[in-house]
Amino acid sequence: MLEFSGFRRNEMDNYRQEKVQKFEEFVDRRLKPDLVSAIAERDKVFEQQKIFSDLRRNIENLEKNSVTSLRTMVNLGSEVYMQADVPDTQRIFVDIGLGFHVEFTWSEALNFISQREERLAGQIEEYTRLIASIKAQIKLVYEGIRELLQLPAERSVQESFF
Amino acid sequence: MEEPTVKGTVTPLSSMFPVEDAQRAAKRVVDALSEKQQELNQVKEFIADNTNLIKLVQKLPEELHHDIMVPFGKAAFFPGRLIHTNEFLVLLGEGYYADRTSKQTVEILNRRGKALESQVNSIKAMMQDFQAEASFFDATANEAAEGLVEIREEYVEENSSERVSDPGSIKQRLSSFSEADNTNVEDEEYARMMSRLDELEQEELAAEVDNEVDEDNQNQGNTAKSDKEIYEDEEYARMMSRLDKFEQEELAAEIDNEVDEDNQGNAAKSDKESDEDERAITDFDQFSDQIAPDHNFRHSEELRSSKRPQRTKDKKTSEDFSNNFCRQQDLSDQSCTDLTVQAVTRDIVKSSNAEKASMLPEVKEKDGAVPSSKNEVSAQSSKPGIDNSEVSAQTSKPGFDIQKAFTGSVVEHTPKIQTSTWEQAEISSKPSKPVSRFKMQRR
Repeated sequence: MLEFSGFRRNEMDNYRQEKVQKFEEFVDRRLKPDLVSAIAERDKVFEQQKIFSDLRRNIENLEKNSVTSLRTMVNLGSEVYMQADVPDTQRIFVDIGLGFHVEFTWSEALNFISQREERLAGQIEEYTRLIASIKAQIKLVYEGIRELLQLPAERSVQESFF
Repeated sequence: MEEPTVKGTVTPLSSMFPVEDAQRAAKRVVDALSEKQQELNQVKEFIADNTNLIKLVQKLPEELHHDIMVPFGKAAFFPGRLIHTNEFLVLLGEGYYADRTSKQTVEILNRRGKALESQVNSIKAMMQDFQAEASFFDATANEAAEGLVEIREEYVEENSSERVSDPGSIKQRLSSFSEADNTNVEDEEYARMMSRLDELEQEELAAEVDNEVDEDNQNQGNTAKSDKEIYEDEEYARMMSRLDKFEQEELAAEIDNEVDEDNQGNAAKSDKESDEDERAITDFDQFSDQIAPDHNFRHSEELRSSKRPQRTKDKKTSEDFSNNFCRQQDLSDQSCTDLTVQAVTRDIVKSSNAEKASMLPEVKEKDGAVPSSKNEVSAQSSKPGIDNSEVSAQTSKPGFDIQKAFTGSVVEHTPKIQTSTWEQAEISSKPSKPVSRFKMQRR
């Protein structure tokens, strides 16, 4: 687009030129990084949601099979595992955020998880909306630039849009 | 020289390497450098993790169990404890896991650490390259910015004015000169080649004469070409006596064969046993288990009781080292005696390894006195004394007359030959060294 503006420099005054550059910079330096970070945040929340849905499924499994003691493998790091014994599965410590863990019974844990999932779903909704708005802003700025450049073909498209 | 024309060219450096380009290139290299730095940091992190894990793995088996919070998914824990603290399941790669003890796990982790170290080294080397590149680009950019110019001038030789004035004649002269030179060189080369050829022919002649002497050796499959002629006669005589011996032995063995086929293998082995390590002996135990169960207990008892007071393995190896020094010399006159034995024993030893793996439990059952773990078996039986003749005499105890005759002949050998056979055998049959079962299976 800048090249094109250079091509038509004769017809354009410096003011417009500067304006276009400012808009472009705004898109590149502000809106696009915002968009990237918002998407990353939403991905994190997705991950959390998956963790908790897995946990719920596991606890439900334990409940269904009425497992009271458990033997699993613990990852010590670098894919080195050791056997671990859980004598009592009734009490489970669930991460509630900020590094705190709360001791729950199974039903309490399930209750907490469903609440947590609800909240995570809300967060995801929020982020999705944020992302959509950033995308809309980017589009808006581009349309503004097109208008400044007075591109007839683009304008017709733009008019059909709005 | 007559006309003062401009001979060189002057190009400003900035026209060849524009300042911005040079700077951009430098920036790109710096970016690559920082990327490598990140990679390096990551690898260093891995190394730190690895060393921590090694410490942990070493510490865990100190107690029977550790109270921990057992992770359940990523967001939940159960209060529990680690059990079987000396059993680790280690990822080998490609989704294969192995059950290892603490010690073995530490070994694996150490090897991983070494791989990481080499990675660090390679990254560091790459970074050095990039740094040199970056400094070069920076220097170029600075020079271009300062307005440095490059001056190029054709180099013309000015020794004789003739050359400058008449380049054509020089060419001719040059060519003729080089031609003459060439012929000279060719002559010289030809003479040298011819003399070399003569030399080689003479050598070959000499070798043929040698070969005639050697021919008998070769008939026996002796490929040793000793250039020490002093040994030759001696060697030949010894060889002939050996040949006779072996013929007799073979005859005996053939008779034996009719009695029991396994016997022959064992007989040949018992020769080797004298200088081989424990495997052959344990094997012999097994063998006698099968054939003469009556003798077995007595025999193995004798074996062990007589061996314990004998020299330990350390001493044996130390003597081996001393033998190593004369090995080079020996090889030439030994090989004639060895090779005939080797041909038989090599296969046997190999098969006996496999046999051993499968048969060891049997030994355990039959001979209650044998320690329970396989390692111990090999450790104990690896005490064979230096005194080869004694061992061979022992191993031949379970009464087979023909064997006795055979091993008797072994006793007659000079100790020098025996140690050499041992060394040869060691070279030829590595699997018979005390290796772990894991390694053996992997071979």
